[in-house]
Amino acid sequence: MTWLNLHPLTFLVFAPALLGFLLMALPHALGKLARMLGFLGALAIFVLSLSWLLGHAPDAGGLILAERASWFTLVGLPVDYALAVDGLNLWLVILTTFLVPLTMLGTWNSLKDRIGTFVAMFLLLETGMLGALVAQDLFVFYLFWEAMLIPMYFMIGVWGGDERRYAANKFFLYTLSGSLLWLVALLYLANKAGGFNPALMAQAASALPFSVQGWLFIAFAVAFAIKVPLFPLHTWLPDAHVQAPTAGSVILAGVLLKLGGYGFIRFAIPIFPQAAMHYAQPIALLSVIAIVYGALVAMVQRDIKKLVAYSSVSHMGFVMLGLASMTVIGTQGAMLQMLNHGISTGALFLLVGMLYDRAHTRMIADFGGVAVKMPIFTTFFLIVTLSSIGLPLTNGFVGEFWILNGTFVSGFPWGRLYACLATSGVLLGAVYMLWMFMRVFWGPENKDEDSGTHHLHTDLNAREIAVMLPLVVLIVWMGVHPKTFVAASEAPVTALLQGIKAPAPRPFVLKPAVHEAPAAHAPEAPAAHEVHR
Amino acid sequence: MSLTPSQWAALLPLLLPALGACLIPLMALDKDQASAKWIRGVMYGTALLAVVASFWYLTDLWRTGAQPSFFQLRMDRLAQFSGIFVVVAAALTILQSWDHFHQEGWVKGETLSLLLFSVTGMMLFTASTHFVTLFLGLELFSIPLYALVGTVRARPESAEGGMKYFLTGAVASSCFLMGGVLIYGLSGTLDLSAAAGVIKAQGLALDPLALTGAALLLLGFLFKVSAVPFHQWTPDAYEASPHPIAGFMSVATKGVAFIALLRIFPSSLAPLTAVGVKMQAVVAVLAVATLVLGNLTALVQSNVKRMLAYSSISHAGYLMLGFVAGTPAAHTGVLFYLVIYLAMNMGAFGLLTAFGLVGEKTTFEDLRGLGWKRPAMGFAAAVFMLSLAGIPPMGGFYGKYMIFRELVATGHVGMAILGVLASLVSAYYYLRFLVALFLQAPSAEAERLASDRPVVHAPLAGATVLVCAAIVLAGGFLQFALVDGFAKRALVEGLGLIR
Repeated sequence: MTWLNLHPLTFLVFAPALLGFLLMALPHALGKLARMLGFLGALAIFVLSLSWLLGHAPDAGGLILAERASWFTLVGLPVDYALAVDGLNLWLVILTTFLVPLTMLGTWNSLKDRIGTFVAMFLLLETGMLGALVAQDLFVFYLFWEAMLIPMYFMIGVWGGDERRYAANKFFLYTLSGSLLWLVALLYLANKAGGFNPALMAQAASALPFSVQGWLFIAFAVAFAIKVPLFPLHTWLPDAHVQAPTAGSVILAGVLLKLGGYGFIRFAIPIFPQAAMHYAQPIALLSVIAIVYGALVAMVQRDIKKLVAYSSVSHMGFVMLGLASMTVIGTQGAMLQMLNHGISTGALFLLVGMLYDRAHTRMIADFGGVAVKMPIFTTFFLIVTLSSIGLPLTNGFVGEFWILNGTFVSGFPWGRLYACLATSGVLLGAVYMLWMFMRVFWGPENKDEDSGTHHLHTDLNAREIAVMLPLVVLIVWMGVHPKTFVAASEAPVTALLQGIKAPAPRPFVLKPAVHEAPAAHAPEAPAAHEVHR
Repeated sequence: MSLTPSQWAALLPLLLPALGACLIPLMALDKDQASAKWIRGVMYGTALLAVVASFWYLTDLWRTGAQPSFFQLRMDRLAQFSGIFVVVAAALTILQSWDHFHQEGWVKGETLSLLLFSVTGMMLFTASTHFVTLFLGLELFSIPLYALVGTVRARPESAEGGMKYFLTGAVASSCFLMGGVLIYGLSGTLDLSAAAGVIKAQGLALDPLALTGAALLLLGFLFKVSAVPFHQWTPDAYEASPHPIAGFMSVATKGVAFIALLRIFPSSLAPLTAVGVKMQAVVAVLAVATLVLGNLTALVQSNVKRMLAYSSISHAGYLMLGFVAGTPAAHTGVLFYLVIYLAMNMGAFGLLTAFGLVGEKTTFEDLRGLGWKRPAMGFAAAVFMLSLAGIPPMGGFYGKYMIFRELVATGHVGMAILGVLASLVSAYYYLRFLVALFLQAPSAEAERLASDRPVVHAPLAGATVLVCAAIVLAGGFLQFALVDGFAKRALVEGLGLIR
């Protein structure tokens, strides 16, 4: 057990992949056994991650668990095998380990072919995501970031819908294009810094001319923005989401997109604080466009899954807006919104998948009066819909409120306008979600022989209810007591932003930021001497 | 001229394949060659024994750290590295060709003999800076390859490809010879490193003859690595050759040409400051052209072998970028890249044999759905293709990483951006391979044909594929061991480049 005590994160990250490779080696005929083993393994990882991560108090540096060892130099730059969980990634890690077994359970019977390989891909993907989340060395982060594409590519490409090959290739190449250019920036900075340690890189970056910093930041930002995805780099997302099997969509929305936002807060902003400040406003503008545009496009979709996909663009726009506000409350809102979106949109995709498994269609027009046939399903769908809209007392409200608040006080010349425009996104969200809900669930029952409603014979079974219940509990919990989920990131976020704001004059600012007390959720730590990491 | 035992030991790796090459035709004289399996078995066994023995002596040299240098030969670490590289490629080729030639129904001992001569030539080529030895090595490995390309005489396009390769190759060889003659004429010495010193001392570095000579020499190398614009032979020759031979050419020819260039370029060309700079510029321009043309043309191929040919052209481009950066770390990156490239390309060509694709049936269509039918081969294919595209955590990523890193460090950011964009383009056509294997169901036609044909058995080719996949994965996870223990030592101790 000593090895485990010394390398808990290594175990958490690589155990799924090991299990995945074992399952891959199982013969096809044992697919069902593989599915069961995969699920149990993922569940064990979830339980372990909960007990290890919530069981350890953070140390003085804010690290909950950490591992660091020198890995290799390859005739030049040292690469450290550095993994850590701290306040910034704690809940994202737990979200990942939580969603994987839950999704497996939720899509238990969705797939008929090659189940074992699918589960294996799923577990490999979990390794990729966890690795990227806990990596504290940019080279290691890059490895996981890229490696993640491979299982997702196969998940979309092999088990996806009719256009799966196109969607899988587009997903792979689109994401790769951003990360390859980012790699050049990374190498440039690593050569200057003499390594891939983010702290060293931040030092090296601050010594570079501002224009170079700007270009490097753009390279980082584009790679992360593609993953988020931020308008106008979002075009891969609808294809990937719609074509992916339910489990793929859930994980794509639930975790993969978060890595983009996480990349900003973990790497791009701390390494290039000046440049991040400089480009905050353009990013905020794009975020506002994403919010409104995503919502408008979602409104006219005829396919429920596509609607949810575009709603992701809109919701992730909120995340980027919160990060771009460069205020504590906005950033905290973005952190929470990332979790919210993982839960709500993940739940939506699961629900859409359950509907599709029964009706074999996802077209809104094919439904109507589903509420009569599937009352339990309808109840869950309604709760999740309301959470996605951001009804007070659900998780969506808190996150969006903080983000809008942060944008309002950000001090951008157009900050208040952005906040107002983004608020219209909330409104539009209510429009497209409720309109869709109305057409699918209410109204007269669609009696047409070919309609989706006609094929709905059974309501949710115990397994599906067991999947949805924890999600609903979380939706309410996060809405009523968000502090549980943002307390950990409070200190690092405050430290980060204070470090940025104190010394640097802000290029775009007309007047200094009005630093309002961020709602009543927690007292702000005002340590002015605190330097960012 | 008497050799000491240790010199014999250093010479044996070169002599053993040549000895094998002489023995095998004697067995092939037997008219029962085609019918008696045991004769074929003995021939293949002899060939395998020759390369394994050569490998044994090479690793023995490597282990003891001896770097004997006698006559014109320098069996230093770099030559040993190159020797190990070549015999491993040859061993994989021999194993794969057993299956492939049986599938084609054309098993001839001569092919083995030619292959072994080529192996000797390759080792000779990388073990000397003396021009005559270099040229001898070049011709000794090229001429058997010309014949090997056209070896399956039953197929008319095979002869055509062989002839094309021979004619263009002969021109390149004569250019190489002419370059050497010019340098000799200027300096009065046949040793290229010594010639550099003489030319510099006499202030002839800017002499047009020196420039022409260096350019012609470079042309010889660039032809062998199939850099644009000397690449035209590549797709035709690969398509015409038997799969294992195409794999061998793509790996070993390119590899030894780069290793020899590594020996010549920094020590002979670079010291001639003006010429060195010009040659560096030429390599830079051609690397760009190679990357762009190789990758874009590979996109539109429907035949897997032609795609792999253009892919091998584009990989020459990445390797040339290592020379553009020109730092010792970049050169180490080139050597590491070659090791991984050996595994992934021999593996990719081995797959064609393992899947039993014979003759012209090597289009993407013919691959459809095979990944699911042969999961182990499919897994290996995914490893090779992702590695060729440079996606971590495969070995291919680290080769590119080292080269691009040094490019950026030496200020060639634009070239690095071009390099990564080329990688992006390449990802598309490598994915096509995986799309065919996994994402497409077999066509009805293929299903019908498959039910008529007996199941393919290619155990040896399959085994080589798995070995290659293991090497590629090892390159991804134990990259430091390969770099520090193998590639770096070849450079540090062999050439004394890094201190």
